[in-house]
Amino acid sequence: MDTHSSAAPAIRLTDVDLSLGSGAARVHVLKSVSLAIGAGETVGLVGPSGSGKSTLLMVMAGLEKVDGGEVRVAGEVLTGLGEDALARFRGAHVGIVFQSFHLIPTMTALENVAIPLELAGRGDAFARAAAELEAVGLGGRLSHYPSQLSGGEQQRVAVARALAPHPSILVADEPTGNLDEGTGRQIMDLLFAAHLARGTTLVLVTHDPSLAARCGRTVRLRSGRIEADSAITQVTA
Amino acid sequence: MPAPANSRLPVSLRLALRELRGARRGFGIFLGCLALGVMAIAGIGSFAGALTDGLAREGRAILGGDAGFTLIQREASPQEQALMAAGGKVGQVAFLRAMARTGDGDATLVELKAVDATYPMVGEVETTPAAPLADLLAERDGAFGALADETLMSRLSLKVGDRLTVGEAKFEIRALLVAEPDRLSAGVGFGPRLLVSAQALPATRLIQPGSLVRWSYRVLLNDPSADALEAYTKSVREGAPEAGFEVRTRDAASPQLERNVRRISQYLTLVGLTALLVGGVGVANAVASHLATKRTVIATLKALGATRATIFGTYLSEVAILAAIGIAIGLALGAALPFVAAYAIESLIPFPLAPHVDGLALAMAALYGALVTLAFTLWPLARAQEAPVSTLFRDALGQERRQPPWLYAGLCALAMVALATLAVLTAEDKRAALIFIGAAAGVFGLLRLVAMGIMALAARLPRPRNTMARLALANIHRPGALTPTVVLSLGLGLSLLTAIALIDRSLTQEISGSLAEKAPSFFFVDVPSADAEAFAGFIAARAPGATYRAVPMLRGRILALNDVPAEQVKPSADAAWVLQSDRGISTAAEVPEGSKVVEGTWWAPDETEPLVSFDKKLAQGLGLKLGDQVTVGVLGRAITARISNLREIKWERLGINFVMVFSPATFAGAPHTLLATLTYPDGADAAREIPLLREMARAYPAITTIRVKEALEQANKMVGDLAFGIRIASLVTLLTSVLVLAGALAAGHQHRVYDAVILKTLGATRGRLILAYGLEYTGLGLVTALFAIAAGALAAYGVVTRVMEIGFAFAPGAAAGAMGLALVFTLGFGLLGTWRALSEKPVRVLRHL
Repeated sequence: MDTHSSAAPAIRLTDVDLSLGSGAARVHVLKSVSLAIGAGETVGLVGPSGSGKSTLLMVMAGLEKVDGGEVRVAGEVLTGLGEDALARFRGAHVGIVFQSFHLIPTMTALENVAIPLELAGRGDAFARAAAELEAVGLGGRLSHYPSQLSGGEQQRVAVARALAPHPSILVADEPTGNLDEGTGRQIMDLLFAAHLARGTTLVLVTHDPSLAARCGRTVRLRSGRIEADSAITQVTA
Repeated sequence: MPAPANSRLPVSLRLALRELRGARRGFGIFLGCLALGVMAIAGIGSFAGALTDGLAREGRAILGGDAGFTLIQREASPQEQALMAAGGKVGQVAFLRAMARTGDGDATLVELKAVDATYPMVGEVETTPAAPLADLLAERDGAFGALADETLMSRLSLKVGDRLTVGEAKFEIRALLVAEPDRLSAGVGFGPRLLVSAQALPATRLIQPGSLVRWSYRVLLNDPSADALEAYTKSVREGAPEAGFEVRTRDAASPQLERNVRRISQYLTLVGLTALLVGGVGVANAVASHLATKRTVIATLKALGATRATIFGTYLSEVAILAAIGIAIGLALGAALPFVAAYAIESLIPFPLAPHVDGLALAMAALYGALVTLAFTLWPLARAQEAPVSTLFRDALGQERRQPPWLYAGLCALAMVALATLAVLTAEDKRAALIFIGAAAGVFGLLRLVAMGIMALAARLPRPRNTMARLALANIHRPGALTPTVVLSLGLGLSLLTAIALIDRSLTQEISGSLAEKAPSFFFVDVPSADAEAFAGFIAARAPGATYRAVPMLRGRILALNDVPAEQVKPSADAAWVLQSDRGISTAAEVPEGSKVVEGTWWAPDETEPLVSFDKKLAQGLGLKLGDQVTVGVLGRAITARISNLREIKWERLGINFVMVFSPATFAGAPHTLLATLTYPDGADAAREIPLLREMARAYPAITTIRVKEALEQANKMVGDLAFGIRIASLVTLLTSVLVLAGALAAGHQHRVYDAVILKTLGATRGRLILAYGLEYTGLGLVTALFAIAAGALAAYGVVTRVMEIGFAFAPGAAAGAMGLALVFTLGFGLLGTWRALSEKPVRVLRHL
């Protein structure tokens, strides 16, 4: 279903190490992780709870700084960037969809989707936000607040928000975890449709085997290491 | 899709406006704290402004003309009268203290005011019954007419038609004196008012050379323009440079009163500032707890590309908008205060009020409000921008707490310094403002330490066996405990209240206790020097064993210091009064009792050079040192003397003491009277004082007798009025404290609900939970109250012994009151919140856990 891009990788992690917490509570979450994801790939990160998949996703999105190794995303080395530079980088290159939607309750659907565009200083933020909402089927819900929307609708707003700045990379953390099966399927359809239409690289964390199966590539983590990578399996097969 | 109307605003402001939609709840405390503090400061400023403006507007009436010239002990010479009359119509009023006696022997001190036919040149005299003044004061059937005020009527049980004697003249009370337009210019009097005609004055035979009479000349100018007024007063000053006139004009008719209004309003502003500072704690708490609920939103914004500056800008804008609303509410209420006062209680205020919207007072209050908001919210705002995005992911581990850049701590400090600078710069008494700021900072720091101490102690105490006591103890020191907020908010308010109660108590104690014991029973004013020996004998016969002291006394004004005219001298704030009007002066061959020479030497008994001994503190305030020249105007003559020594004076004993004591040769031959005191060895006693007062009035009608006890009662009443004002202002602080406390407890409510539900699920009954929470709140309330009493007592002790230089009196009642209030508030609010937490159904909360 998916095709590998022949261009330079969209995401390249080299020997990434990361520990969290301090003292006795310190946990070595990522251990010498190296991974390259080509532009336009769809990758499912799977593995048991605590295996480090969400942390790996955060590292790719520039949300977590690593202790060692190199992180290169969309051609930029993130390792040396400060917090604000990372924020600007995310605004330009990375769209994020969360399991708990994380819409801002005081803002309407339209305003929620417009935020990343406003932060990027786009003059047409609201027009584009409206178009994105139209694209996810919420054209009639622009002025609704999150509390007035169903879970599925909220996640659709979140998808529209993630796609609005036309990011080259879309990361999603258990995007269907809080939704029923039917609604979850609709959300995934939206994400894959965006990937197809815009060539966006899509990386998602999931516990759902059927969802992982929709991705062109599956990376399995265990105890902070990559246990299996279907791409490598394919090559070696 | 059209962009919303505000899309041209900076993105931070746009986000802030959207965030405000959800801010309706939880910001009541924020608004309340700011509004109350700003209202106090704006209200005090506006009220003082209305009062000062009222005094200015009524200046002509208060002064009784466009310009006023006052002389002491002598009437203006014909030349001086002609000089004054050159500008317009001149009216003359004489003021003196005298004894008024009734037919049945009752006597009391009165402030006698003798007016000529022109009176009043401005305004109206109100009497009951109303009648033309000339008729009321005219001589009929061998008695002059007189008007007595309410106090005099009741003190001597008089009614209209009754007769009384003053000096050797007989008066008939023709009407009750309800109001005199120029009452305020006379200042505070010792006795009630008796208004008579100028013609009656000679008949009293009270006017002797050297008698303490103030002759006031009021002039209604032909040309009332400001320029003409200035030129006119200049011409009178220059035409009679040695007259020693105390000159006032309609634009500063009662400078002393205006100064007092300004001073008192500044002290009250500091009390209002305390309310605002306490409110600052509430503002900080409200912002911190609001931002705590926004951690996810902040993290989301950061995940979407918002920089820390955008986050900081967003929430700073939100706080600024809310602060503007709180400040606006406070300003509106404060600005309304003088209007409400003018409408509701004008008849109770003995001053004219001119309520208006005082832009400067409101701007100052707004500035204070803005600076307090900044000082208390910059740090929580800076911390909020550090919220990690990893909170958005479910298996994020060990989020370390990041400290914001030190720049923000610097900005916070800058806001505090600006606040302190504003308070000091705008204060007339800069020392008091500095002491206040030092004390406020000290109490803040101490309260923080006390809170940390309580938590550390609670953490180290052995665990009680009783589960609920253990829970209570744990609640006091657990992370996020209410301890710091409760101690800070309640501690500040209670410390201030205790301090004010104890200062008030010490002052009252001093006036009615220590002073009354040490002070003489009587002052006798205007004892003619010719009668000195006979009078001493009269007293000795009637008060055996009591101490009688008499010293020569004249009245004089300082005209120049080292040849610099008094108007051009720049004295310190606490010495300015010496130059403002006439002073009693005395001569002595030996160092007067109650004072000690601390610099220079006392003169020899046969010294012939005019020398003066000056009070040391006041000399410093006036920039004087040994050898300097002081020129005083006495009885129309200018006399210059050299300062030969400086004395330290124990003023608080209320004995006879003078700022300036001259060598006997300085005023040799000048007519003078004696000022005498009578002190009983065992203190004041009405049973022997009143008969003596009556006998005195009969035997020596010309000698004014002041019963110190009555004067002290008057002083006590004034202190009481002032203390009432301060208490009202400090109540605003306490109210703010309570708001902050309520806010803190409400912020902890979620946590309480969680605890309560878990404990109920595990089998705790409501009774046991209430016991645990009650123990926690009682403990916190008691410790806070103990600290507040200690801090308040310490502050009061400092003010009383160092600033007021009087004895400190502790009031167990005030301490117990503070303790009671602390318990009522902590237990009351705490348990109220807890009760709500306990009524939550566990299952509903557990579903959301």
